[in-house]
Amino acid sequence: MAQTTATKKKPYLQTILFGALSLASYILLFVNEEWVTETYTMGGYYVVYPIVTAFWFSLIHGAFGSNLLSTLGLEAKMTKKK
Amino acid sequence: MRFFSALVLTLFMIFMLSTAAFAGGGGPPKNFQKGVFLEVDRAAGTALFQASGSDTPEVLMLGKEVDVENISLEHKVMVTLEEKEGKTYAKKVETMFLDLSMSKFITLMVVGLVGGMLSGFIGSGGAFVLTPAMMSLGVPGAIAVASNMCHKFPKALVGTYKRFKYGQVDIKLGLTMALSAIVGVQIGVTVQKAILNAWGNAGSNLYVSVVFVVVLVVVGGYVFRDAIRLSKNDADDTASPLALKLQQLNIPPMMNFKTAGVRISAWVTLPLGLATGMLAATIAVGGFIGVPGMIYVVGASAMVASATELLIAFVMGAWGSLQWGLDGLIDIRLTLLILSTSLIGVQLGALGTTYVKDYAIKLVMASVMLIVAISRGAKIPGYLGDLELITPLEPFTASVLNFISFWALVAALGTAGIIITTVMVRGMMQARREERAALAEEA
Repeated sequence: MAQTTATKKKPYLQTILFGALSLASYILLFVNEEWVTETYTMGGYYVVYPIVTAFWFSLIHGAFGSNLLSTLGLEAKMTKKK
Repeated sequence: MRFFSALVLTLFMIFMLSTAAFAGGGGPPKNFQKGVFLEVDRAAGTALFQASGSDTPEVLMLGKEVDVENISLEHKVMVTLEEKEGKTYAKKVETMFLDLSMSKFITLMVVGLVGGMLSGFIGSGGAFVLTPAMMSLGVPGAIAVASNMCHKFPKALVGTYKRFKYGQVDIKLGLTMALSAIVGVQIGVTVQKAILNAWGNAGSNLYVSVVFVVVLVVVGGYVFRDAIRLSKNDADDTASPLALKLQQLNIPPMMNFKTAGVRISAWVTLPLGLATGMLAATIAVGGFIGVPGMIYVVGASAMVASATELLIAFVMGAWGSLQWGLDGLIDIRLTLLILSTSLIGVQLGALGTTYVKDYAIKLVMASVMLIVAISRGAKIPGYLGDLELITPLEPFTASVLNFISFWALVAALGTAGIIITTVMVRGMMQARREERAALAEEA
């Protein structure tokens, strides 16, 4: 039988791993709220902080989101190759 | 000849980009200082202010607009300064980092989710409601713009990656548009400054609003008509007559955009990018121009145009974040709260596009544009009153118009969320049915 999206193995482990990593990052940041808001808004070279943080979250939280949607069975429709 | 034209274009771009870089085009305002108040002398109307990064405190005169009673000595503030008669006045005092209550958390996350979905689906959106939403929660304008900008590029990056995987992003077209748009922003900002100098703040607001409403109504109306026409025939997109004509123009250097399936002169794409950037600098929503531009001028499908817009949003968002971040205006907490849901929303919107036809994207885009135009239109009478072109508005009328303006934005986002979810669910159900039918046939 052909493999369908419904029978594909769902990425539970990845969802949990990336979810935990992302949650830990969020907690770390919000627990140190005062230091973070102060340092991140010092301007000049400190611009690296918000930019790198934004990239970091796009990576791990983005991966979490992608796996979460797959776990929920929300997958893109595969386009037929011409 | 071809080499010469390419050289001229490249040099032109390098020159304009470097000018933009040095002038900080589209960047934050410069007339403010961050720091803390050490002492307030209410009777004298002065305050001792310690600016961040400076060792010596300075005495600031407090302007009439400043609410002296509400100046806090504990919170870091952002002070808008004004030079008058050789003295430095604090014109506006705003708390830099608002205390985040649970309701503010939730508001930002909900707006982030729907805004993300919209972005993933039509390539842009979310920012038009996020900035005013943040400001209504009490975030200073400049911080709202900066934090929003910093949320835009990671979201667009994830969206671009997803839609690239679906084969919808034309990288070359995206980069060409983005680089020329950055230059366009610089020109737009210069025009904007000239208007501000000539007509003041109210004049500038009026100009921005009129351009906003006219552009959004005309372009949104056109896209809406096109979407309805296509939906009636349930047809796929075909290139517009204008795009077909422009594709025939054989002025070197010609550019080949493989994913978009278009071969068109650089003399069409570069001015289009410039115009997008100029308008983005004026009305702050470049995607509403960029996407229709790529569809009707270049001749890309709505699918490719909306996906490519995400790449443009990434480049421009990163560029903008760098500039606003250099002035230390990004409140990363706000950025990350929105990202917590928008990074999921953008992927949901992106996968949604694989289940729909082109006209669904156009329909969502046009609806959002037209409702957002109402929101901005409601502000015009107020600006006309400020300029004394009409009798100034009664406070009640002004508050009703402000109410309409804000809630129209929320309605735009809500409508988009509903349409996207509906077309996506319908598409998914149809795909399931087709899949089942195919399996039954095989068996």
